[in-house]
Amino acid sequence: MKLPKQILPSLALSFAAALLLASANVAAERDPALSKIDPDVDPPLAPLPLPPAPPDNPITQAKADLGMMLFFDPKLTGDASLSCGDCHDPKQGWGFNDPISRGYPGTVHWRNSQTVVNTAYLSKLFWQGNAKSLEAQAPIANKGAVAGNGENDVMEARLRQTPYYIEKFGEIFGTMQPNLGDAWMAIATFERTLSQQDTPLDRYLAGDTEALSAQAVMGKQLFEGKANCIECHNGPALTDEKYYNLGVPRPFEWEEMGLNTVTFRWEAYAKGVHEKYYREWKDDAGLYYSTKRSVDAGKHRTAPLRYLAYTAPYMHAGQFYTLEEVIDFYNEGGGENEFTDGSHGLENKTPILKPLNLTDEEKEALVAFLEEISGEEIRFKLPEVPPYGVAPDVSGLTQAQAKRIGLETYLAAAGQQ
Amino acid sequence: MTLLEKPALHSCRTVAAVLLTLALSAPGSIAQARDRQEIGPLPEKAPPSAALVEMGRRLFFDVRVSGDGAISCATCHDPGQGFTRQLDKEGQPMALSDAYPGTRHFRNAPTLINVAHKADFANVGWGWDGHMGANLNDVIRDQITETMMMNMDMRLMHERMKQDPVYVQMCRENFNGECSSGKGRKALDAFMQTLVSKDVPFDQGTLSGEAELGRILFEGKAGCIGCHSGPYFSDGEPHNTGVPENLDVFQDPLRHIAYRAVLTNHGVPKADIWRRDVGYFLVSKDYRDVGSFITPTLRETAHTAPYMHNGMFQTLEEVVAFYVAGGGHDDPLATELQPLDLDRSEQAQLVAFVRALSSPEAPTAEKVEIPLEYEPIDNWLEVRN
Repeated sequence: MKLPKQILPSLALSFAAALLLASANVAAERDPALSKIDPDVDPPLAPLPLPPAPPDNPITQAKADLGMMLFFDPKLTGDASLSCGDCHDPKQGWGFNDPISRGYPGTVHWRNSQTVVNTAYLSKLFWQGNAKSLEAQAPIANKGAVAGNGENDVMEARLRQTPYYIEKFGEIFGTMQPNLGDAWMAIATFERTLSQQDTPLDRYLAGDTEALSAQAVMGKQLFEGKANCIECHNGPALTDEKYYNLGVPRPFEWEEMGLNTVTFRWEAYAKGVHEKYYREWKDDAGLYYSTKRSVDAGKHRTAPLRYLAYTAPYMHAGQFYTLEEVIDFYNEGGGENEFTDGSHGLENKTPILKPLNLTDEEKEALVAFLEEISGEEIRFKLPEVPPYGVAPDVSGLTQAQAKRIGLETYLAAAGQQ
Repeated sequence: MTLLEKPALHSCRTVAAVLLTLALSAPGSIAQARDRQEIGPLPEKAPPSAALVEMGRRLFFDVRVSGDGAISCATCHDPGQGFTRQLDKEGQPMALSDAYPGTRHFRNAPTLINVAHKADFANVGWGWDGHMGANLNDVIRDQITETMMMNMDMRLMHERMKQDPVYVQMCRENFNGECSSGKGRKALDAFMQTLVSKDVPFDQGTLSGEAELGRILFEGKAGCIGCHSGPYFSDGEPHNTGVPENLDVFQDPLRHIAYRAVLTNHGVPKADIWRRDVGYFLVSKDYRDVGSFITPTLRETAHTAPYMHNGMFQTLEEVVAFYVAGGGHDDPLATELQPLDLDRSEQAQLVAFVRALSSPEAPTAEKVEIPLEYEPIDNWLEVRN
C-alpha cells in the first residue's frame, strides 16, 4: 500500500502536536467516588495523530513495502504454512473472526485475535500487554508454539534463501544477508501504516459537526457521561492501556473442546504459573502471567475501540458476538468470573463497573457511536510472496569445488606453514 | 606436523583410556575395551516392561508428537523399511530424509534397530556429526524438539498426552502418575529397546563359507575393523572417508535452508558459504574435522540402503568398491584411507559378511491407529488440571 504523503515528513512533530492538543482539552467532570478508585486524569477523546515510530525504526515507504511482503509470507513460521495475515486477515478486520483465534496447525490459540489496525498507537500489545512495541510483538507471535511455532535460525535461513529478500534487506538495512531482527522492524513499519486518521470521529473532533449522526452524537455523550466508557476507553486510541478484570465469563471452549483444553493448560505451564494455580485455575489469568501477583488475575489490557465494527467478536476470548451484547454486559455492571467471585479467595473485579440503567434508546445510541467511528474498511490485495532461489554458485558445481568452498582461509594458513 | 595432519584426536583419547584403565586397575573395563573392541554378538539386555513398550509404540506412531501434527517418528524411521529412510513418491528409498514440513533434511535417516546398544559404543555425541545427546533418552528429546525434525515444544507434548485418555491410563499403569513429556521419552526409549536384530547369522555362528572368508578380510587385509569395531561394529568416532557430497543439499532450497539453519544454530562460521557437509566440524570447530562423520553400525545394512551420511551409495557393493579405491578425494584433508588390494571375489566375500550382520527379516513393529481428535475431560471444572 502507498503511504499517505503527509505521513513521511515530520511524523514526530505531528504526534507531539496532537498530544498537546489532547492535553489542552478539559476532562469531563468525574464522579468523586471514581476519582478515589482511579485518581489519574483520563484524557479526553482526541483525533488520531499520524502514527509515531521509534527513533531507531523510522517509517519509510520501502521498509513498509518489505514489511507488507513479510506480513503475508508464511516463511516466518515453523512449517511455513501460515503468515501473520492468517490470524490477522484483512478480510476479517485484520483479526480473526472466530471467538478464539486459529492457531498453528495441530493447535488452536486461546485468545481472540486483535486487529492490527491502529496498533501503531499502543505501547502494550497482546491482551496481556506483554509486548511493549510492535517490533517486540511480532517475534513473540511468530515463535509461540500455538501461534507461529517458528525458530529463529530456520526463519532467518528462509529469508537468506530468497533472492528478493536478499536484495531488499540489502537496500533497506545495508546488510549482506537478511537478518531476522530487521524483518520484525519491517513488519512493525508496515503495521504502523495501517492506521486511520480520517474516521468520522476524527472529523467530528476536528470540528465537523456533520461527521456523526445525531444518534451517534447522543452515543458519544453517553460514552463520555452516563455510561462512563471514557473512564478506560480514552485518548486518541480509545484505550488507557491499563488492566482490569471486568468479570468477563470464561469461554466455554476450554471446558468443552479437548484441543482448546490442551492449549489452555499449555499456556499456564509455559507462562510459569505456580503449580497450585496451574492445577486449580480454569480461566485466563491475564496480567497475573506477567506479574505473578494474584491480585492481577483475570485482568486484561483495555482494548482500543477504533475499527470496532470490523473486529467482532469482542473481549479477550471473543465471549461476545455483537456490540449489543457488550453494551448489555456493561449495563449490568459487568459480570463474574473465578477471579472475582471468591472461588480462589480473589475479588479482583474492578470497582469502576456499576449497573448503568441505560434505556434501550441509549444502548442503541452507544452502538451507533461505536459503529460510526469505525471508519472505512481497509481493503487489501494480497501480494504474491517471493519464491526461494538456489544459491548462484551451486549451478555446475563440481565435487572438488564443493569440497573446498569454506576451507579457503584454513588452506591458505596451512600453506604458509 | 602441518595443520592438515590429524593425529591428535585419537592419540589423546587412547592416552586418556590408558590412564583411566590404570587408575581403575580393572582389566576388561570399558576404558580398556575402547581401544579396539573385538567384534561379536551384542550383549543381552534386560527387556523393558511390556506395558511401557506399548506406551512407547503408541507414541512412536503418534503424529501429535510433532509440532504441527504432520509427522511421527515412523515417518523417517519407517518400521516397514528397517526403521530408516522414507520412500519417495515412486516408492524408492530417499537418500536424504524429508523430516519436518517447511524444510527438508540434509542427511540420511539412520536405522533405529539396535539403537538401544548405541550408548555403550558411542564416544562422542550422536547423529552423523555428533551434535546430539550421548544417550537414547537425550537424543529422543533432541529429535522431538529440533526445528527441522519434529519442531515440538515439550510442554505442549506434556499437555497433549494429558488430554488423551489412553496415555493418561498408560502413565498411571507405568509410572503411577500423571503424564509428562519425560515419561513419554522413557516409553519411547523402552519401545526402542525392543528394536533389536534377530537370528543374525554372525551372532549365531552360522556364517556361510563365503561370509567367513569375508570376516577374515574384514578383520585383516581390508582393515574395516579399524573403525567398524566391537559388537556394534562402530568405534563411535568421527572419520573422514571422502564420501562425495550430495549436492542436492544445495540444489534444493528447502534442504539448504535446513542445513544453514543447523550450522547457524551451532555457531559454525560461514554458515551461508559452505557447499559441503562439514560433519564433526559442527561440534569441534577444528578444521581438521571437516568432512568427518561418526562411524555407523554395520548391523542390519541389508535392510537399510542407501548408505553413508548423505545416502550417496545405493548398494553394499558400491560401498565396498568405494573403500577398495581408497575412499574419496578430499585433498588436502586427511581421509585416513589407502586403496585396498581386493579382487572381485574378495569384495563379494566382504559383502557377504556384512550382509550376515543383518536379521534374515528386518525387525518391524505393528502400527498403532490413533484418533487425532482430543476429547474434552469429564467434569473439567471439578477436577484438577
